[in-house]
Amino acid sequence: MVAVTMNFGTFMSARSVVGDTILELGQKDKRIWALTADTGGALSAFKGEFPDRYVDVGIAEQNVVGVAAGLALEGNIPMVMGMIPFMTMRACEQVRTDVCYQNLPVRLIGTGGGLTSGGGSTHNAMEDISIMRSFVNMTVLSIGDPNLIRDAIYASMDLPGPLYIRLAQGKQDAVIYEKGSIKFEFGKGIVARDGSDVTIFAHGEMVRQALEAALKLEEEGKSVRVVDMVSIKPIDEDLIVSCVKETGRIVVVEDHLMTGGLASAVADVMADRGVSPKAFKRLGIPQVFAGFGSGVELRNKYGYGLDATVAALKEVLKA
Amino acid sequence: MQEKPTIAQLEELAYELRYKLLNLCGTYEGIVHIGGDLSVADIFTSLFQYGLNIDPKDIMMPTRDRFILSKGHAAVCMYITMAIRGFFDYDEIVRTYGKLDSAYGMHPCKVQLPGVECSSGSLGHGLALAVGMALSAKQRKEKHRVFCLMGDGETCEGSVWEAAMTGAGYKLGNLVGVIDRNSQLMTTFSDEPVALAPYPDKWRAFGWNVVEVDGHNMASLVAAIDNLPASDSDKPTALVCTTVKGKGVSFMERNLGWHAGALSSEDMKKALDEIGAGRGAK
Repeated sequence: MVAVTMNFGTFMSARSVVGDTILELGQKDKRIWALTADTGGALSAFKGEFPDRYVDVGIAEQNVVGVAAGLALEGNIPMVMGMIPFMTMRACEQVRTDVCYQNLPVRLIGTGGGLTSGGGSTHNAMEDISIMRSFVNMTVLSIGDPNLIRDAIYASMDLPGPLYIRLAQGKQDAVIYEKGSIKFEFGKGIVARDGSDVTIFAHGEMVRQALEAALKLEEEGKSVRVVDMVSIKPIDEDLIVSCVKETGRIVVVEDHLMTGGLASAVADVMADRGVSPKAFKRLGIPQVFAGFGSGVELRNKYGYGLDATVAALKEVLKA
Repeated sequence: MQEKPTIAQLEELAYELRYKLLNLCGTYEGIVHIGGDLSVADIFTSLFQYGLNIDPKDIMMPTRDRFILSKGHAAVCMYITMAIRGFFDYDEIVRTYGKLDSAYGMHPCKVQLPGVECSSGSLGHGLALAVGMALSAKQRKEKHRVFCLMGDGETCEGSVWEAAMTGAGYKLGNLVGVIDRNSQLMTTFSDEPVALAPYPDKWRAFGWNVVEVDGHNMASLVAAIDNLPASDSDKPTALVCTTVKGKGVSFMERNLGWHAGALSSEDMKKALDEIGAGRGAK
C-alpha cells in the first residue's frame, strides 16, 4: 500500500517538475536535449544552462517531432514539451512514422490533458490516449501527481523506444502520494487505496477525484479500491484481472473520450482474459466538442465529475 | 579510402545504375517508381560514388556523411546505387525486391536494412530529420555533412518549409538539401496546380545558400559537390538540380504515365537500347 496524501492541500506545477527533471538529467547525461514548438517556458533553466542542446522551432509541431527523431537517430534522447492536441494530432504522422516506426527514444510530454486546457475544443485533449496507444512501439503514461512525473521521467532513461506522457493542466496539480512512498514502474498500476467492494480505475488528475469519491462511499460503509493506471500502455493486465476477481464491480473514470482510452483498454483486458465483472461502468467525455469552462465545470456538465463518480459507484454496488 | 572516380567513370556508373534499374523494372512483377528513379540516377551516382564520405566496410563509421532519402519512393535507386558502391548485393535486391521478408521494399526501412540511415516513404518528412541530425553533429563539433534528397513535388508539403526555417535559423552549414527538380508530381506537372516557381528563389528567401545545377550533367554535379561551403559555415545549402523525370528513355521522359509502372520485356529492350545509345555520347 502506498501512503496517500489525503488532504489534497498540496499543489505543484507539473510543468515545473518536468523542467527541473529534464535539467537534472541534462546535467548528468549529454544525450538529453530539450525541444519545444514555442511552449518551452518550463525549459528556460535548461535553455540557460545548455543552449546548444535546446531547440525551439517556433510554432511548428510536425517539425519539432521530426527534428527530435533526427536527434534520436544520432543517439540522443530528445524530450519534447508541448500542448497535447498539437503534439498528438498536428504531428500525428511524424510521431507514428518518424518516431514509432523507427522505434526511437523520443519523449513527448504533453500538457493540458482532457478538458483542463481552458482553451475550448481546439485546445482540449480528449483523443490523445486513443491515438497514442494505437501506435506500435509507443509507451503511454498519464500522470497527475507531480512527484510521480519525476520518477517516470527518470525511469524512462532505460526505455529504448518512444514514450508519450500525458499531464493534466500542468500548472496546479494535486500531490497525491507522499514523496518517496511509491515506486514507478512501466506496465504497473498503483493501488492508491485498497478496498474490497468495488474498484475504480482512473488516470491523471482523475485519480484525485476517484480518491475523493472513495472517501464519500466509505462514510456509507463501502470499501472502494482506487487504482491509478498511470501506465496505460503497457497496461497492468494482472492487476485488472485481480481487481475484477476480488472486488467484482468496476468503474473507470477518465478525462478522455469514453471510447479508445483507459476504459477501452480495461474492457479489452477483461474480454481477452475472460473475466467478467458483476457490473462495469465507464465515465468520461461523451461524443461531444465540449466548449468552454474550467475542467471541473466541464466534468460536472458532461457527467464524469465527483458527484457522477459517486453515483456510478453506488449504482454498480447494487449489482 | 578508394580513389575518386573521374567524370567519365561516374557517367559509366550512372549508366550501370540505369541499366540495372530498368532490368529490375522489366523483371519485377509489380510496379517500380521508374520515372523518379531515372531523374535522380545521376544525382545518386554523384553522391554515393563520389561526394559522400562513406565506407561500405564500415557502414556506421561515426565520421560518415549522413544521407536521408526523403523521396522514399526512389528507394530502389538508392539500393542499387549502394550495391554498386559495395554496400548491398545487387542479385539479392533483384531476387527479393518487394517480396515477403525482404529487406528491400518500395520505401526504405532502416530497421530492416542496416546501412539505410533513415526510414522514409511519407513525403515531406526527411528534411526535419536531417535538421535533427545536423543539429546533433554541430553540437558535437563533428565535421560530417547531412544530405537530404527531396523531390520537388514533396516540397508542396508545408513540413519541408518548417524544417527549412529551422535549418537556416540554427545556421546549419552542415546541412545540404538536394532537390530533384523534375517539375512533375505523380499526376500533374508540378507548376500547374501549385506555384512552386520561382523555385530556387523560395529556398533563397528561406535563408539557404542556393546552387542551381543541371541534375543530369555529371561534371556540374561534381563541381557543385566540390564547392559546397565548409560544414562549419553558417548557411544550409540547397542544390536545386534541374532534372527530367524518366531521363534517358524517350517514352518515359516527361510522361505522366511513367511516375511508376512495369515494363514489358519488349519495352525494357527498347529502353535499354536507348540508354545504351546515349552511353558515352556526352
